[in-house]
Amino acid sequence: MLIELKDVNKTYNNGQPLHVLKGVNLSIERGEFVSIMGASGSGKSTLLNILGILDNYDSGEYFLNGKLIKGLSERAAAEYRNHTIGFIFQSFNLIQFKTAIENIELPLFYRGTNRHTRHNLAMEYLERLGLTDWAGHFPNEMSGGQKQRVAIARALITHPQIILADEPTGALDSKTSLEVMELLKKMNKEENITIIVVTHESGVANETDKIIHIKDGVIGSIEENLRHDASPFGGADGIMK
Amino acid sequence: MRDLLQEIWSTLRQNKLRTALTGFAVAWGVFMLIALLGAGNGLLNALMSNNGNFLTNSMAIYSGSMSKPYNGLKEGTNIYFDSKDVKTTAGPLFSQVIDQVSPMLMHSITMDYNGQQVSTTLCGVAPVHSDIEKIPMNKGRFIDKIDMDECRKVIIIDSKTASQLLDDDPDYAKIVGRNINVDKYAFKVVGIYEADESMYQNDAYAPYPTVHTIYSKNNYMYRMFFTFHGLETEKANKEFQKKYTRAINLNHNASPDDENTVYFWNRFTQNMQMNKAVSIVRTALWIIGLFTLLSGIVGVSNIMLITVKERTHEFGIRKAIGAKPGSILRLIIVESIVITAFFGYIGMLGGLIANQIMDATLGNNPIDLGIAQVNMFLNPTVGIGVAVKATVTLIIAGTIAGIFPARKAAKVRPIEALRAE
Repeated sequence: MLIELKDVNKTYNNGQPLHVLKGVNLSIERGEFVSIMGASGSGKSTLLNILGILDNYDSGEYFLNGKLIKGLSERAAAEYRNHTIGFIFQSFNLIQFKTAIENIELPLFYRGTNRHTRHNLAMEYLERLGLTDWAGHFPNEMSGGQKQRVAIARALITHPQIILADEPTGALDSKTSLEVMELLKKMNKEENITIIVVTHESGVANETDKIIHIKDGVIGSIEENLRHDASPFGGADGIMK
Repeated sequence: MRDLLQEIWSTLRQNKLRTALTGFAVAWGVFMLIALLGAGNGLLNALMSNNGNFLTNSMAIYSGSMSKPYNGLKEGTNIYFDSKDVKTTAGPLFSQVIDQVSPMLMHSITMDYNGQQVSTTLCGVAPVHSDIEKIPMNKGRFIDKIDMDECRKVIIIDSKTASQLLDDDPDYAKIVGRNINVDKYAFKVVGIYEADESMYQNDAYAPYPTVHTIYSKNNYMYRMFFTFHGLETEKANKEFQKKYTRAINLNHNASPDDENTVYFWNRFTQNMQMNKAVSIVRTALWIIGLFTLLSGIVGVSNIMLITVKERTHEFGIRKAIGAKPGSILRLIIVESIVITAFFGYIGMLGGLIANQIMDATLGNNPIDLGIAQVNMFLNPTVGIGVAVKATVTLIIAGTIAGIFPARKAAKVRPIEALRAE
C-alpha cells in the first residue's frame, strides 16, 4: 500500500473554525491513476495538500510507503517531497524569472545533483515533452499548455513515486486539457507512477481509472472506472468543458 | 557554492530595480560615511598643520605696556625686555619650569655679497630657537653654544636669500662657509634654512650676544622664547604666567598685578585647546557617520523585508519541490551579503575617489591671507583601514538585517507560502 489514510481530520482556525476533513479513510496502491472529485469546499484540495505534505493534519494517521507522516520537521518534509512526490498545480507555479529549463532543473538542485547531470536530464525531459525549442524561454513567453508541460517535466525529473495534480487542467482549454491528461496517462502506464488528480470536472475524472468522490469532508463513493465511461455529463469520448 | 551564486545571479538579473534600490542604499551609506570622514579629516589636518609650526611645550612672550600708573611711571609706559629679564627668565626663580631661553633681538640690516644686496631682519637668538620655531635647516647648521660663548659673527639665512646673494644661482649651498657683509661687518654664513613659500619672511639668524653687542644701542627687545615643562593643566599655566608677569613687573617698576606688561603665546595651552576642539569635531563626525551608516542599514533591511514578502510565493514553490528551510535561509542571506558587499565596495571606491577629488581640488589650494598662506583643507582622506571597516560593518549589519525576514520566510509552511500572492 503506497498511501494509507486513517481517520484524518483537519480543521482550519482562521477566525471561524472550519472542519474541512472529517475522518478521511483512504488507501491508494502503487501505480494507480486516481482522481479525487468533489464540489468546491468539499476538502479535496486540502486532502491533496496533506498527501503532498504541504500541509499538516490534526488527528488520524497518514502512512506513505508504510511510514507514518506526522509532525515532520520542515526539513524532513522537504526531503520527502523532493524524493517521493511531484506536484502539478492549476496555476503551474513556475518561477517567473527562470527559464523553462532552469525551472525543470530546480528539484535536482535541491537534491544536490551536479550541474552537468541536471542540465542533461532537464534537456531529456524537455525533449520528451516536445519543448526542446522552448528551453531558454521564460514562463510568460509560453502558452498555458506549454507551461503545464514544463511543470510536468519538473514533477517527473526526480522520478517520483507519486504525482499530485491539483486541477491540472483548470487553466487550460479543452484540447490542451486532453493533451495533458493523455500525458499523465502515459506516465502512469509507462513509468508506473501513481497519479492522483484533484478535479471538479467529470470529464477529467473520467480519464482516470478510479474516481474518489469526496463530499463535505468525508469520502463518499469510490468508482472503478477502467472503461472510462463514468461521466454522467461528458460521455466516453473526452473532456467536457 | 557556484550553484548558489548562479541561483542568486539569475535572481538579481531578473529583479534589476529591487537590486538597484538595495544597492543604492548600501553604496550611498558607505559613500557618505567615507566622503564625510575624509572631508572632516581634511579640515582637521589643515587645522593641525597650520598650528604645527611650533614646539608645543614652548611659549613666546611679548612685552606690552603698563595698564596703570605705578611708582611714578605713567599709564601706557612701554615695557621692553632687557638682559635683566633674560636673567630672571633663565634664573633660579623659574628653573623648576623653564628649560631653555631664547631672547630675540631684531634689527634691520642689508646683506651684501659681491655687490648683490638683500635687505632683511637680523634676529639675535639662542640655539634652542631653531627647535622652538621648527626652523627647517637644509644646509650647514644653526647657531651653537660656542657661537654664543665666543660671540661669533656667524649668520644663518634662508635658501631664497642665499640664491639672491649668489645672483640667482640655484646652487645656493656653496655660500655656506663664505663671508658676507652685514652692514659694515663681515659675517660667516654657517647654515641655510628652507625658505617657506607660504610665509613671506626671510629673517636671518645670528647669535644673540653678537647682535646684542653690535646693535643693542637704540634697539629694544620685545620678544623672548622659552621651552618649559611640568605645566600640565590650563590652571597651572595661568598661575605660572601670573607669577612670571609679576617677576618681570618687578624688574620694570610696574605694578606687580599689572597683566598688561607681558603677552603670552603659550603653544602648550593653545595645543591643548586645539586638541580638545579636534576631538569634539572628530566625535561629531563619527556620530554623523554612524547615523549615515545606520540609515544605510535601515534601507537594506527595509528592502530585504519587502523582498522576502514579495518572494513568499516563490519560496512556496521552491519548498513544494523540495527546498529545505535552511536552503531558503541561505539563499536570502547569501543574496543579501552579495548585494551589500558588491555595492558596499562600489560605495567605498566612490568615497575614496571623492576624497581624492577633494584632495586634488581643495586640498592643494591654500588661501592667501597676504602675510601668510593658510590651508583650509589638507589631505582629506580616511585610511583604507577605516574605509574597509565601515564597509565590513555595513555588510555584517546588512546580513543581520536580512536574517530576520529570511528566518520568517524559511519558517512559513509551504501551503501558506503557495497561497500568498
